Amino acid sequence: MSSPSVNPLREGIANRLAPEPCTLVIFGATGDLTHRKLIPALYNLAAEGALPPSVSIIGFARRDKTSEQFRTELEEAARKFSRTPLDEELWKSFASSVHYHRSPFDDAEGYRTLAAEMDRLDKERGTAGNRLYYLAVAPDQFPVILDHLKASGLNRAAEGSWARVIVEKPFGKDLKTARALNGLVSEVFEERDTYRIDHYLGKETAQNIMVMRFANSIFESLWDSGHVAHVQITAAEPLGVEGRAGYYDTSGAMRDMVQNHLLQLLTLTAMEPPTSLGADAVRDEKVKVLRSLRPLRGDDVFRHVVRAQYAPGLINGQPVPGYREADGVPEDSVTETYVALQVNIDNWRWAGVPFFIRTAKRMPKGGTEIAVTFKSVPRVLFNRTGEGLDENVLVIRIQPDEGVSLRMSAKLPGSSLRIEPVKMDFHYGTSFGKATPEAYERLLLDAMAGDATLFARRDEVEEAWAFVDGIEEAWKTRKDDLALYEAGSWGPAEAAELAARHGVTWRRL
Amino acid sequence: MSFVPGIAVPIGGIEKELGRLWEESGDDKTRASLINLAVYNEKEGSLQMNSAIVQGIAGEHAMRAILIEADPEAAGSSASAWINMHCYPRGSKGGAVCSEQISFRLGGLAARSLQSVVFSHLDSDLPLALWWQADFRSPVEGKLWRWVDRLLFDSKHWKDPVAQFAIVSAIEGLPEARTVLCDLNWARCLPVRQALAGLFDSPFALPEIRRIRSLEITHAPGFRTTALLLVGWLADRLGWKLDSSNSFRDPSGATVTLTLTESVGASIARLHVVSEGASFEVRRDPDSDQYVTSASGTAIPSSGRMVRAPREETREILLAELARGGRHPLYSKAIRAIEALWV
Repeated sequence: MSSPSVNPLREGIANRLAPEPCTLVIFGATGDLTHRKLIPALYNLAAEGALPPSVSIIGFARRDKTSEQFRTELEEAARKFSRTPLDEELWKSFASSVHYHRSPFDDAEGYRTLAAEMDRLDKERGTAGNRLYYLAVAPDQFPVILDHLKASGLNRAAEGSWARVIVEKPFGKDLKTARALNGLVSEVFEERDTYRIDHYLGKETAQNIMVMRFANSIFESLWDSGHVAHVQITAAEPLGVEGRAGYYDTSGAMRDMVQNHLLQLLTLTAMEPPTSLGADAVRDEKVKVLRSLRPLRGDDVFRHVVRAQYAPGLINGQPVPGYREADGVPEDSVTETYVALQVNIDNWRWAGVPFFIRTAKRMPKGGTEIAVTFKSVPRVLFNRTGEGLDENVLVIRIQPDEGVSLRMSAKLPGSSLRIEPVKMDFHYGTSFGKATPEAYERLLLDAMAGDATLFARRDEVEEAWAFVDGIEEAWKTRKDDLALYEAGSWGPAEAAELAARHGVTWRRL
Repeated sequence: MSFVPGIAVPIGGIEKELGRLWEESGDDKTRASLINLAVYNEKEGSLQMNSAIVQGIAGEHAMRAILIEADPEAAGSSASAWINMHCYPRGSKGGAVCSEQISFRLGGLAARSLQSVVFSHLDSDLPLALWWQADFRSPVEGKLWRWVDRLLFDSKHWKDPVAQFAIVSAIEGLPEARTVLCDLNWARCLPVRQALAGLFDSPFALPEIRRIRSLEITHAPGFRTTALLLVGWLADRLGWKLDSSNSFRDPSGATVTLTLTESVGASIARLHVVSEGASFEVRRDPDSDQYVTSASGTAIPSSGRMVRAPREETREILLAELARGGRHPLYSKAIRAIEALWV
């Protein structure tokens, strides 16, 4: 009798593609990402039985330590960062599949012994020759690791198996470096085997944007320039640069947040309905949005974009220093910690609708949201003066307090006619008491299952960089446009003026 | 003293009294509701039991709960109602999230007129999950069941499974009905199905799935139907045809023997599958919170893992079922694959 190609017992167990057995190699295994995110996510998946039992994990890093020491460190991290309490027995069971492989990233011998180790695990655990490489390292380490994976043949899978790579952001620091990085990756892995992680896409609410738009008839029929006045996408945080000054000062808010997370949210908000839920069908539509973004170059940049940096101020009543006073930040830094953009999407659906994007550090309050403001009702009946009625606003809260709210007008009870805005509010946390899985859990499972829908494709990344590069180039020509804002304020006056030119005020979160 | 499930209210004034309850409860409470969960039981004392269950799940699955304790055989017609709320702190934000509960004690004609007495108190536009904790009666009354989006029941309690399954199948097949059958017994065995399925993910193990020769299940007293659902699931998925009360024929014509053993412990304490080249086991030790899965043999490398096992409480199973949603297309197939074993 012929052997089945898929496990018939998997049908009906979960409404998703099943993850396949594999060896997951984490480069940068002693780093923060591994400890805070990857291992807690993998532990929870294993504990819930979502991870195939034969999955093996190899931590690849330079520091000298044994597998036992590595597991002990990971256990401490998982105890601290796991979303569920650590269970000793479940941890032991999970940890038995975790191994440490010490090697410099540039040592060919380290890759040869890695290959031998993976072959051994294939035989011992039945991982089928499937390999998933996770580059949890700084981008300057990508070339050496990718080169060695290629040179050692680890990028090629045996017949019937696969070899995939997960690349953490930043995917380059401009279009040129992104293309170079993508070129490098594509010399080693096929695009279909390349998974560029943007953890925002793994968040429940980000996934819910498509569900809300395409599983509800009431929204999509209003989702165009005929009904939408403007859209605001905001990601704010009260934190400062904290310990990331070295990276952040060379990046800034535009590269750190806008190029990836916020443009991803923009594409999900503005995209056309995909032909299917397949990875490429969805990503095709997202890329079209990026291609429709009206480029911002030269003087246009200073009309449409405001950059600013936080000065000393108060957060939660406590004085905090300005950005330039943070450890590791040059005294004359012009790196933006705040950026506000007004962009246009030149396509049939969105012609004439301004999109506002804003991200900042040291805001009074943290939060990420998409706010779609609908056009006012005609100036008849209840809106004769044009001043009395608030517009309808649909807000999709990505984090925290994930949910959706809709503002509408209602008559105040009483014999006189007074109309006030009221809010219909849906909170995930209120209706669903259970904690949602971490974004990394979903994304790791997807990579093991070969589902790239929630990962950025090469052309998406490059189109986003092409847009951002125009702005960065203009910024290089001037420095006097950098505004300052007090920490704990809602940003500089220049940003308010930018919105005001379109008759818009920035939302308070 | 008999249990009082809240504030006694006149049936005609339930919505008004609920409104008053909210007004008096303070501004820090938020009403939330994802579904209407109606629970029907014909045993005295069920309101207390079900009130405790609703209290246990409302924190994770906000709802309007409608509890019914019915005595349809009583003379005349009687109806009493109570209202209350189950509130849970809303994380670090302060305040509380509350689910409403309406409880009915019905006798005689009122108990036989559920759709008019009870279903007029549904939270409109939210799905109705009806948890039927009594025997289903024939013939099927279309007026009642057409309202139901999800029909919950527990085949573990069925005394005549063949007849009961025929009735729920008839409910599912009612014209214009969109009822999803949700057997809590099927939900109960999901973690075991998931654990066993995981053992065959390995490409070494997968070929063995066509070479299974024996299946042994150890179940707790009272959980034979749970074990049979597992058997039915495997038989359907692997194309086995029932040959006798303790054997199947697989598609190649080979015999697969079946052994069910009753022993005190977890509902499903052990599921052991032996193929021509390997042995696969899912085990749950007494009082353990984990399943231990293992595979070994000449044809495959040894492997094993521990996975979290849910507590075997009605609350956990109900929550799992409510959170899962969707249809259960394999359930009816599993039942049909082992219908002859039900008796």
